[in-house]
Amino acid sequence: MVAGGQIAAGTELPSIRDLAVKQAVNPMTISKAYSLLEAEGVLVRNRGKPMTVAAQPAFPVHPAARARQLESQLDQLVLAARQLQLTQNELIRALRSRWSRTDASARQRETA
Amino acid sequence: MHPHVSAKRLSKSYGKNRVLNAIDAEVDPGEIIGVLGKNGAGKTTLLELILGFTAPTDGLVQVFGHESFRMPNDAKERIGFVPQQEELIGQLSARDQVALIASFYRHWDPVLVMQLSERWEVNLGERVKSMSVGQRQKLSIMLALGHRPELLVLDEPVASLDPIARRQFLEQIIEVASEGHRSVVFSSHIVSDVERLANQIWILKEGTLIWSGDLDSLKESIVRVRLYSEAPIPADPGLTGTLSVEHSGKHVVAVVSHWNESQRARLSALAYETVAVEPLSLEEIFLALHG
Repeated sequence: MVAGGQIAAGTELPSIRDLAVKQAVNPMTISKAYSLLEAEGVLVRNRGKPMTVAAQPAFPVHPAARARQLESQLDQLVLAARQLQLTQNELIRALRSRWSRTDASARQRETA
Repeated sequence: MHPHVSAKRLSKSYGKNRVLNAIDAEVDPGEIIGVLGKNGAGKTTLLELILGFTAPTDGLVQVFGHESFRMPNDAKERIGFVPQQEELIGQLSARDQVALIASFYRHWDPVLVMQLSERWEVNLGERVKSMSVGQRQKLSIMLALGHRPELLVLDEPVASLDPIARRQFLEQIIEVASEGHRSVVFSSHIVSDVERLANQIWILKEGTLIWSGDLDSLKESIVRVRLYSEAPIPADPGLTGTLSVEHSGKHVVAVVSHWNESQRARLSALAYETVAVEPLSLEEIFLALHG
């Protein structure tokens, strides 16, 4: 949501306790999630104040490091494609068509 | 910080029947422990031993540093308990039932109980025996929270609650536990609730604690592995710690325990076209451990 611009930079996050109660999820889970997002540079911890969304989400620099985050989804995609007896080219074609569809909708959002 | 609960080689037999076998476990302040197990696995017995309702046959369980079966009153006052079957008095109004329980405690928080009764829509003027099962369960939970216990023990607390009341109850438990020094131990068959709420999981099987540890390690340790190969996969696909395995020529789908990176490296060396690892839900893990 941050990467997609749905949550603007500087937005304050609810406290761990408030979010845990609201979502009925263990506070340690929320705390871990916040820490992971902080380590990824998505969130900023502010002394004595709520955490905020970082100005420019600092993605892992290396494209390879970024791609690694998709590993398990890619494994599953490739496996499903093989089970459906699709060829590599057919899968890549399907991916390309999806990709261009999201390109088109992104352009629409910009012009709107 | 001392643990709220500490069990060492804790065992319980009824006659020749061994109900709990050498349990080692701890509850630290701030933790929410979810206790899972089939009916008859020993969940209620374990909770009763913690509460000091019964003495262990072997081993020891301490609560706030006291042997639980010989707990002094001031330690008992720091515990709240919701039993599996509520123990309310039908003839009383809910208000009188609250007053009766409150009279046993030196520190009682009437404001908290009032707030809970409003939030949970429990009519304190109503007689206990004319309340619905769900209302009575809510009342039991209010009674267990009224003295602001540091250790809250709940034996299948949500069994009779509708989804909305269950959600309110879960939120309330989070509120209790997010005051850092308090802890919660609860058993439930609703594994999805345990998954949301608990940060530590105890899994009992036939009286033995087959898992105690944090939820994340459990989910990293037990995973589903899918193997695919153009060449038929041999009968022994090279997996270790398999809890279940489906083998169909080019595909193998297995649930394995003790998963780690060296297992993955070993499989990668076996020239499968695909090695896909998927996390499991707690429910799937629970079922796999009982397969």
